[in-house]
Amino acid sequence: MSDVQLDELDRQLIEILARDARVSNRKIAIDLGVTEGTVRGRIKRLQQDGLISFTAITSFGLADTTRMAFIGVGVNVSDVRDVAEKIAELPSINAVMITMGRFNVLAICLFNTLDDLLELASNQILAMPGVHHVETSIAVRTTKYNARVVRITEADRARFDLNDDDA
Amino acid sequence: MIPPNSLLRGTGRLTRRSHGGLQHDMSDDFIIDDADRAIVEQLRLNGRATNQQIANTLGLTAATVSARIRRMEEADKLRVVAVSDFSAHGYNVLMEVAIEVDGRPAADVVEELSQFPEVFAAHLVTGRYDIDLLVVLRSIDELPRLFLEKFARVAGIRSMVPAIAVDVIKYKFDVAPIEAREGE
Repeated sequence: MSDVQLDELDRQLIEILARDARVSNRKIAIDLGVTEGTVRGRIKRLQQDGLISFTAITSFGLADTTRMAFIGVGVNVSDVRDVAEKIAELPSINAVMITMGRFNVLAICLFNTLDDLLELASNQILAMPGVHHVETSIAVRTTKYNARVVRITEADRARFDLNDDDA
Repeated sequence: MIPPNSLLRGTGRLTRRSHGGLQHDMSDDFIIDDADRAIVEQLRLNGRATNQQIANTLGLTAATVSARIRRMEEADKLRVVAVSDFSAHGYNVLMEVAIEVDGRPAADVVEELSQFPEVFAAHLVTGRYDIDLLVVLRSIDELPRLFLEKFARVAGIRSMVPAIAVDVIKYKFDVAPIEAREGE
């Protein structure tokens, strides 16, 4: 992770677009008192640098029973990156980080039934080569949470390059 | 060893209703069809695509795309947003911290911890520990002050066990509760 220098205009742009990404460059320009070209250029630079990405957040799939779970995974250290990348490919996994601490990989997922969680943790993750231990912890109440701050990956950036010509 | 009945210590019971957390009331009857799903898929690829571009890709009219997006947004089922990388906020250190609570309701402890800007996410959890935090720092130099001057002054924390992220492979929540927009 590198040091990033953002100025006040960048921060205002991020704040506006985090609320609604479909607001036009012209409207943003008027609101912030800058030219449309400036807005377009800033947004493009923030995307190119992998600092922002535009996406859709939906709540369709959420049920009364939807819960977040933390899955701590004990992995042989030499296998840690392979296992983390394999876990990240599982569709129900929202977050994966390689950690130093009481486990080597932490995964975060949303699940609807305990059977789904068991399938994910015990049948899929625990079965991966190099994994020797899995411990799950279920969030019963969430007091703070932010879906707008993420890790923007190389794949997200590649997607932007594909879209760039029609932006 | 921690007796099993202490797993929910402080929370009293497994709550079924929402407490402003992840749980979401799905008792409404909002129905989405294939066209809605296809539009959402296009927006996930490029949230700034124009209605016309999405319409061309899917063989719909721009007016239909616009109306479908507005309908989902007004029902708080969809937000098209910019998400920003941890580094855009200067967060160079990310760690998970598991907390054991003693002598005070865990719900009170987590509320107090949630007030700190360094606490990025906070949950009451089942298992060995009572609270799970994600902590973000600009630099590891900020850790002593966070621990000694902030966390140390919160009553009821028996122990804190960290797992420091050395690499974040994935962190993205495309499915999340959506709160109504202010002033609408």
